[in-house]
Amino acid sequence: MRNLRLVRRETPLAGGQLRAVLVGVIIALLIGVVLLLATGNNPFSTYLRMLDSAFGSPRAWSNTLTRAVPLGLAGLAVAVAGSMGLWNIGAEGQIIAGAIGAAWVARLAPDLSGPLLIPLMLLGAVLGGAVLALGPALARARLGVSEIITTLMLNEVAIRIVRYLVNGPWKDPEGNNFPIAPEIPDQAKLPGLFERANIGVLIAAVVVGLFGWLVSRSAWGYELRIAGSSERTAEYVGISLRTKILTVLVMSGMFAGLAGGIELTGSASRLVEGVAGGWGFAGIIVAALALMRPSGVAAVAVAFGAVQIGGLAIQTQGVPAAISDILQALILFGALAAAVFGSYRLERGEPASATNAAIAEPGAAT
Amino acid sequence: MNEQTLIGLVIAIIEFGTLLYLAALGELVAEKAGVLNLGVEGMMAFGGMAAFWAGVETGNPWIALVVAALAGTLLSGAHAVVSVVLGADQVVSGLALTILGLAMAAFLGKDLVSKPVGTQFRELDLGPLSDIPWLGETVFSMSALSWLALLLGAVTWFVFNRTSTGLALRAVGESAATADAAGLPVIRTRVVAVMIGGALAGMSGAYLTLLLAPGWSEGTTAGRGWIAVALVIFGAWRPGRVLVGSLLFGGLIALEPRLQTFGVEISPILLSMLPYVLTIGVLILLSIRSRNRPSAAPAAIGQTWRREER
Repeated sequence: MRNLRLVRRETPLAGGQLRAVLVGVIIALLIGVVLLLATGNNPFSTYLRMLDSAFGSPRAWSNTLTRAVPLGLAGLAVAVAGSMGLWNIGAEGQIIAGAIGAAWVARLAPDLSGPLLIPLMLLGAVLGGAVLALGPALARARLGVSEIITTLMLNEVAIRIVRYLVNGPWKDPEGNNFPIAPEIPDQAKLPGLFERANIGVLIAAVVVGLFGWLVSRSAWGYELRIAGSSERTAEYVGISLRTKILTVLVMSGMFAGLAGGIELTGSASRLVEGVAGGWGFAGIIVAALALMRPSGVAAVAVAFGAVQIGGLAIQTQGVPAAISDILQALILFGALAAAVFGSYRLERGEPASATNAAIAEPGAAT
Repeated sequence: MNEQTLIGLVIAIIEFGTLLYLAALGELVAEKAGVLNLGVEGMMAFGGMAAFWAGVETGNPWIALVVAALAGTLLSGAHAVVSVVLGADQVVSGLALTILGLAMAAFLGKDLVSKPVGTQFRELDLGPLSDIPWLGETVFSMSALSWLALLLGAVTWFVFNRTSTGLALRAVGESAATADAAGLPVIRTRVVAVMIGGALAGMSGAYLTLLLAPGWSEGTTAGRGWIAVALVIFGAWRPGRVLVGSLLFGGLIALEPRLQTFGVEISPILLSMLPYVLTIGVLILLSIRSRNRPSAAPAAIGQTWRREER
């Protein structure tokens, strides 16, 4: 070990990230085999069952795509902030805030017709997500407070707000004392698309596509990426960092909020504590695997949707659904490690001495 | 409100304070070396599950504690390798560690959920000291783990402020390039610091499943790992202040089920938000105050370091 060190490759390996993700998938599946064998399960039939329940039929596809919606929107939320070098760790809380916003609209105007109520609920969701992101955005833009910790802390606050609501003021009087809010009106539910999927899939696809294009192709997105790579350059060419930080973080909250709205109107149909389902955290992995590129987010979201649907399906065989979370985290670890070897290689030899290092980086030793 | 209720409250404050302090102390060591580890919640759950399993198997709480520390260390190794040795982003790697730890605990602990408790930590009998009114029933009746947490806090303070090892660790956390130029082993220091953090988070998990809420179930950590992360900031990266913060936040948790007894008409759920809200408030205050003077945070926190670069 002592003689091994990482040396930068002169030219990074081609196809870097795709290769890295594939390596991550292989590593995750192999470790998964060990875990499944250790707990007395047949790994091959388990994986086959997961694959089949995620892609084996139109119904399977509809489940996978439905699950990909919150993953993709949360991933987009993280990626948009990430393209400017900001971390929105609060997607989980913003999804909850979005669901609360949508549920609130339905409470205020339960008699509106569907074509009016649904857009208003989704608007409420977007605003809910924006409200939760606004504080961290202002603190970062005005005071330079790290958005990582503030958004992280607000997740826990949002979980407790929804817990308070469904245990207290919004508790369903006919819910047999369960901590649930009343079901939203029938006309507030998103129209179906095919099998179990609803038009939320289309909404999410359009949003991810549109903002993916904006970030990677428009002048606005270009400024964003400049601001992300160098604050000084951004200021020099007249980009207002404060405004950019504020817009991007609030926008990020809006995407996650929309995910909460679609979840409420599309699948959950009533507010419960677990409405965000861990998808906000999974969205961070999705965005990281997609290298913060919205175009990649959609593909990774569908893949992770499949892993999660597969995980639910094997529960009936007595395999804990947690295996899908394990696979997702391991894919990320594997891909992060593999990505390093795309631009670095291991070299044997004496480690460069401190003096050499100081020569290589003038000023460091002064 | 009678004396017994108050004594019960103080005991609960000490218990939750111990839980938080163990984990926060570990995170403090990692952050002082410049590594943010957002995996505390996962390491705590994994350590707690491992401790409960070892308790069922061996019936010895101390063996269970060691197993929990090893489990936490092992898990933190993933963060150390990926974010320190290979230099991937600390935020992503740490969050993935939380997801991995929670999921591994749920997966491997599936059959432990219905198991009866194998062993528990008991209060430490300090003989005559335990007979002192008030103090005897509270401080001098706390478990050995609470004393261990205090001892570890004092050791951490001493190492940070009075030894060359501590100076080296802080140097690595302030500026890796300068530390490297001075001949300090940056990578090794950071890896060890992360693993110490993992061991302490694992022990905190053991405290949870073998004393505070004996048993194992998914979700038993209930966001306390995130409070530990918050505490390091709240305590401005100092072992002493983190202890005060642990007792304060532990006190808030201890108050939750007791609010009604004290005749307060606030929902305990709303009270449980306070640690997180207070931490955000402290962050904002710190940033306003630190405009004119250096920040309390280790300067290199969150930054990846590779020798060829910079």
